[in-house]
Amino acid sequence: MSFRLSRRQILSGMAALGVSGGGVRNAFGQKRLIIPEGDFAPLPIAIPNFVAGTPSDGDVAVGVTQVITNNLKRSGLFAPIDQAAYIEKVVNIDAAPQFANWKTISAQALVTGRMTRQPDGRLKAEFRLWDVATGQQLTGQQYFTQPEYWRRIAHIISDQIYERLTGEKGYFDSRVVFVDETGAAERRVKRLALMDQDGANVRYLTRGTDLVLTPRFSPSTQEITYMEFGQGDPRVYLLNIETGQREIVGNFPGMSFSPRFSPDGQRIIMSLQQGGNSNLFVMDLRSKSTTRLTDTPAIDTSPSYAPDGTRICFESDRGGKPQIYVMPATGGPAQRISFGDGSYSTPVWSPRGDYIAFTKQGSGQFSIGIMKPDGSGERILTSGFHNEGPTFAPNGRVLMFFRDPGGNAGPSLFTVDISGRNELRVPTPGFASDPAWSPLLS
Amino acid sequence: MKVDKTLVASVALHVLVIGWGLVSFSSKAFESMPEESLPVDIISADQLAKVTAGMKTGKKENPKPLVEKVAEAKPSDDAVGKIAEKPPVVTDTAPPPQPKPVEKPVEKKPDPPKPVAESKPKEEPKPIEKKPDPPKVDPIAEALKKEEKKPPPKPQVQAAATPPPQPQKPKERTFDQTKIAALLDKRDPTRQAATGETLNSNAALGLAKGKAADNSATWGSLFQSQVERCWKKPYGGIESQNPEAAFSIRLKRDGTLEGMPVPEGTPATPYLRVYQESALRAIIECQPYNLPAAYFEEWKYFAPVFTERKT
Repeated sequence: MSFRLSRRQILSGMAALGVSGGGVRNAFGQKRLIIPEGDFAPLPIAIPNFVAGTPSDGDVAVGVTQVITNNLKRSGLFAPIDQAAYIEKVVNIDAAPQFANWKTISAQALVTGRMTRQPDGRLKAEFRLWDVATGQQLTGQQYFTQPEYWRRIAHIISDQIYERLTGEKGYFDSRVVFVDETGAAERRVKRLALMDQDGANVRYLTRGTDLVLTPRFSPSTQEITYMEFGQGDPRVYLLNIETGQREIVGNFPGMSFSPRFSPDGQRIIMSLQQGGNSNLFVMDLRSKSTTRLTDTPAIDTSPSYAPDGTRICFESDRGGKPQIYVMPATGGPAQRISFGDGSYSTPVWSPRGDYIAFTKQGSGQFSIGIMKPDGSGERILTSGFHNEGPTFAPNGRVLMFFRDPGGNAGPSLFTVDISGRNELRVPTPGFASDPAWSPLLS
Repeated sequence: MKVDKTLVASVALHVLVIGWGLVSFSSKAFESMPEESLPVDIISADQLAKVTAGMKTGKKENPKPLVEKVAEAKPSDDAVGKIAEKPPVVTDTAPPPQPKPVEKPVEKKPDPPKPVAESKPKEEPKPIEKKPDPPKVDPIAEALKKEEKKPPPKPQVQAAATPPPQPQKPKERTFDQTKIAALLDKRDPTRQAATGETLNSNAALGLAKGKAADNSATWGSLFQSQVERCWKKPYGGIESQNPEAAFSIRLKRDGTLEGMPVPEGTPATPYLRVYQESALRAIIECQPYNLPAAYFEEWKYFAPVFTERKT
């Protein structure tokens, strides 16, 4: 009978030996010195311009570097070091950098990369992320793409760096659909628009002849559902952003509004108006069957699915003032979760499932806040004359919303960390409102 | 060419200030003197216990310390007895000074007021007390002296002359140079040198669980303050994740790392890995460490634990 040790057994045995070895070491008087919590600090990171594989790749190499630098800087978690301070010029990413040169400028991480046009016309992007202190390569990838998608490559690399250095998923390779607003306040033209999360690559999806509101991404990121005031009642539409094909969701007698996709993309949940009331309905996109979820003499609207699809949160004034309720996705008893002063609206469930963001109105101010799905831990992130319509980044760490300063000025988009830090304006061509963040594109 | 003097002065001053700033505000860390930090550390009771704990291997050089002289102890009862006896002596000597000072003022002080007070103020008491005396108006003082020995007149005289002499009486009572000796405590000294055969039984064997003297509270705070300058703690979100990262590190005498810090354990989550890496970066980047050389034996090999856990 042969006695064999599996690989796992050997490993666990070695681990046990290591543990006992540590114990012996400690028995010989090794002091354990507690370093209690320090302050959070953005990580100093050096991102020298990517190397151009061929002389004609210089522009795109610099462009990718700038996009990455901008992404990491805007996240608030990194402090990119000014290129003017760099001592070493990276000319070859296949050799290890001289880390002493990067330590001198206090960089703790270093990104090197190269952009090379391939003989077949594609663009090859390579990057390496280095830990300056240990000299270790933390991650490294190469990608091939069509040259016109160089910005996406930059976003994907940004996500890789973000994830490796923070332990969280990134959110840079994502898009935002929003309502672009132009013209005077009384004759405002509203068009659906699509852009990268950093404000680049704006595309218009509608012509502005009809009023559009509340666009929402499908999980596939290929479709958008929104509400449009057409010739008759406002209706919920479904738009394929690649083909431009558009269809009405369902054929209901009254107004339908505030649509949102289910996490699996198979259903759309929305409000249907019936007299003075509105109730929540869900429609299966394949079978076109519709299911009623609420039946109250009140206004139930702004439904949003939990990421696991088992529950929904929505806004209802069944208790008098608009408040946030949570109930099973198949209908059933709803539980009120918002109990603060004022009224709560536009709830949206985080993709991580840990928080519900909302707009809170009270004391003459509109605030953006978050609370846990059980209603605890309410936290106001920003307040002012008019802040509304929060939407979560794909990693659930950042919120985008729109802010209207009042007067003749129009609304614009802002992002804020869910801790309330790092509030930043998102560049848009004109006024902008009703943002909806897509899931990660890749 | 005309030069604006104020401009020249301004430029010169700016150069001076900026030059001074460049030298003064260098990024080099302040060097903290180890001696200064010694008495300032706040240590827990546990740490104190460790510091005061003895070593089994410690030398027993002074098994009977803290004795000033070795002799036969005196019976402690004696001291008590003496205290009981002596007080009466003190009290005996104390009273005499009181009456005597009273006499002297009567002799002198009443004199000056006499010419003024003779006719009227003293007439009131006199008729009551002494009828034969009034005819002799002048020698009142002499008459009083004669009557000093008689108990009754004393109060009379005092009563008559009360207003002027009263303030002076206390002075005389409080101090009499000739009686200073009487004020001294003549008791034998009760404090005696601690004597005995085995007074201090605290042989320095220490506790069973005792460890070697631990001065990590001293050099540890120095290490902590230095390593925190380089620690860019990753942002862990708004939910507490209680991260902890421990390392074994070996330092050379010059404060540089002898080798790469060895992390203890494998992080379970991506965030814990990032947390551990950030601490590792800090340890490496902040060397050399300026730690007190006196404790080199303690800090040459130790385990820094980066944590946010509330202990």
